[in-house]
Amino acid sequence: MSRQRSIEILEPKITGDNKMGEIFFKRFTFNQLFQHWVMIGTFMLLVISGMPLKFPDASWSPVIINLLGGFAMRTTIHHAAGIAMVGLGIYHIVFHIFVDKESILERKVWPTIKDAKDFWQTIMFYFGKAEEPKYGRYSWKEKFDYWGAFWGMVMLCVTGLIMLFPFKAMELIPYAYVHLATIVHTDEALLATLFIFIVHWWNVHYCPEVFPMSKAWLTGNLSEEQMKHEHALEYEEIMRQMNETGENKSSGR
Amino acid sequence: MIKKKRKYIKHQVKVDLSLEGKTGKAEDIYERYYRMTQLKKCYSLIRNKYLWILVIMLSVFTGVIAAQQDISCYHCHTKVVTEFRNNVHYDKGFNCADCHGGTDVSNASVVSYSVMSGNFIGRPNRENITDICSKCHEAETKDYKTSIHWDAIKQGHPDAATCTDCHGVHEIRAIKDPNSSSNHQNSPATCAKCHSNKEMMSAWYYGIKADRFDTYKESFHWRALDKGYALVATCADCHENHKTKSHTDPTSSTFPENLPNTCGKANCHAGVNFDAKVATGLVHDKESLHTGELVFNKTGLSPQMKEYFFGPFDLAYWIAIFFKILTTGVIGFFTGMVILDFFSRLKIKRRF
Repeated sequence: MSRQRSIEILEPKITGDNKMGEIFFKRFTFNQLFQHWVMIGTFMLLVISGMPLKFPDASWSPVIINLLGGFAMRTTIHHAAGIAMVGLGIYHIVFHIFVDKESILERKVWPTIKDAKDFWQTIMFYFGKAEEPKYGRYSWKEKFDYWGAFWGMVMLCVTGLIMLFPFKAMELIPYAYVHLATIVHTDEALLATLFIFIVHWWNVHYCPEVFPMSKAWLTGNLSEEQMKHEHALEYEEIMRQMNETGENKSSGR
Repeated sequence: MIKKKRKYIKHQVKVDLSLEGKTGKAEDIYERYYRMTQLKKCYSLIRNKYLWILVIMLSVFTGVIAAQQDISCYHCHTKVVTEFRNNVHYDKGFNCADCHGGTDVSNASVVSYSVMSGNFIGRPNRENITDICSKCHEAETKDYKTSIHWDAIKQGHPDAATCTDCHGVHEIRAIKDPNSSSNHQNSPATCAKCHSNKEMMSAWYYGIKADRFDTYKESFHWRALDKGYALVATCADCHENHKTKSHTDPTSSTFPENLPNTCGKANCHAGVNFDAKVATGLVHDKESLHTGELVFNKTGLSPQMKEYFFGPFDLAYWIAIFFKILTTGVIGFFTGMVILDFFSRLKIKRRF
C-alpha cells in the first residue's frame, strides 16, 4: 500500500505550446486534506473564542467577545467548534487505525533515529557547518508538528469535555481534578496557538521559499522542484521505482 | 399756561402762590412738588402692611413645604440629604427622623433644633444599626444575627460588616436597581471593599485571607459576569447574603457537606447529581496557583482536609509549573529555529 501511494503522479499537463507541463507529486489524499480543513476551521474558531477567556483582563478581550456577539454566543461558538474538533480527532484515529489498510508500524510518521540525526544536522546547517539534510516523506519538523498536534488534541479534547460536562465528570473524578482540567486546557491551548502561529505558519506561509503559502494544503500536490528540495529522498525513491516499473514493463514486452 | 399749572394743583397739596417771584418761577415750584409726591407714593408701598402680610404668608408656606422635604436637615447635611433622595425609603415617604430619631415636625428654620430633640440619636453606633433596621426588616435582621459578621461585632470588632456596609448608608437603593451596591452584579465589588483590604482583614483575626476577590476573578463565574453575562453566581449566591458564615461552620452554606445544596439551587446547577466528591472542593483556593505561589496555608488543617490539599492542589501547582516550562521551552526553541532558518536562507542568497 505504501509503495503504491508514494508513486502517485498526476498526468503531465501539456500546454498549447507543445511543451512539457509540470509534474505534480501527490502528497496528501483528499481525506487528509479534508481533515486539515476541518482542523483549520475549528482551531481558528476555538482560538478566537477561547483566548479572551484565557486573558480576561487584556484590553482586546471584551472587544473580541463583543465582535463574537456577546459572552453567551462566545460560549456557544467555543462549545460547538470544540465538539467538532473532538469528532475530528475520533475520526482521525478510527480511520487511520481501522480503515486505512496500511500496516501501522510501516507508517512514515513514526519518529526514527534518522530524525534525531537530521535534527542535529539541521542545527549544524544553520551555523554553516553541514549540508542541509535530505528528507524522506516527512521531515523531523513535520513529524514534530504532527505529534505535537496529536498530543495537544488528546489533552485539549479530554480536558475540554471535562469542562463542558463538569458535573458528569465529578461523578467519575474528584472535584479538584475538574479544576486541574482548566489549568491543563488553557495552558496547552496557549502552547498550541503559539506553536501554530509562529512555527507552523513560518514553515508553510512566511518561509521565503513558499511565501505566501504552500499550496499543498489546497491541492494536496507538490511541484517537482519543491519535491526535489524538500523531500529529496522520497523523490529519489519515486524515480527509482518508476525506472524499475518501466524496466519491468519493457522487459515484459 | 396757567391752565396747565392748575392741572397740577388739582391733586397736589396747596401751593403757596405768594412765594412766586421770591423763590423762583411758579413752574419750578410746581415741578418740585410733583417729584416729591411721586417719591411719597413709593414709600407708601413699603409701608403697606398688607404687602408685608403677603410676604410672611409666602415664607411660611414655603417653610411648610420645606419641612416635608427635610429642608431643615438640608441646610447643613446637604450631601447626605442629596444621597437620601436616591434612597428607596425616600420614595416610600420615610424621612430623616425615622432612623435618626427626633420629631419629624420641622419649622424650616436655619437651625432646626426641634428636629434634634426628643429621642434624637444623631449618628448611630455600628452596633445599633441593626436595631434601627430591625424595626421594619425583622426577618433579615434575624438572619443577619446568625452571621459571622454579627459574631465579630459582638466580639468587639465594630468594623465587621453591618447593614449599611452592603446596602449603603444614606443611598440605600432597591436590590434590583443596577446601581445598588447590593445588586447581584455589584456584590463582588461590595464585598471586596473590606475583603480585599489587608489591614482590615488582619485586624479582625489572624489568618483571614485578603485575596477572596482575586481568587474569585479566576473562576468562570467572574469571567462571564465581567463580560456582561449576569446569570452566574456572585458572592452572595454561595455565601448567603445575610447568613454569611465561615466555611468551617457546619451550618454554613459553604461547609463542604452543604455544597451540593448550595450549588444545586433551583436557578443554578439544578438537576445535577452532587455527591461527597463535590464537597471536597474549596472554590477560592485553587486558582491562586496561576500567580505562581501556593497561597493556601496548610498549617492547622484537619487531617481530612490536609490529605485533600496535599493531593490535587500540589499537583495543580506542578502542572502549572510543567506547562510554564514546556511552553517557554518549546516556543522559545522553535522561535530560535525559525530565526536561524531565516538567517541561513539569507546567507544562501548572498552566496549566489
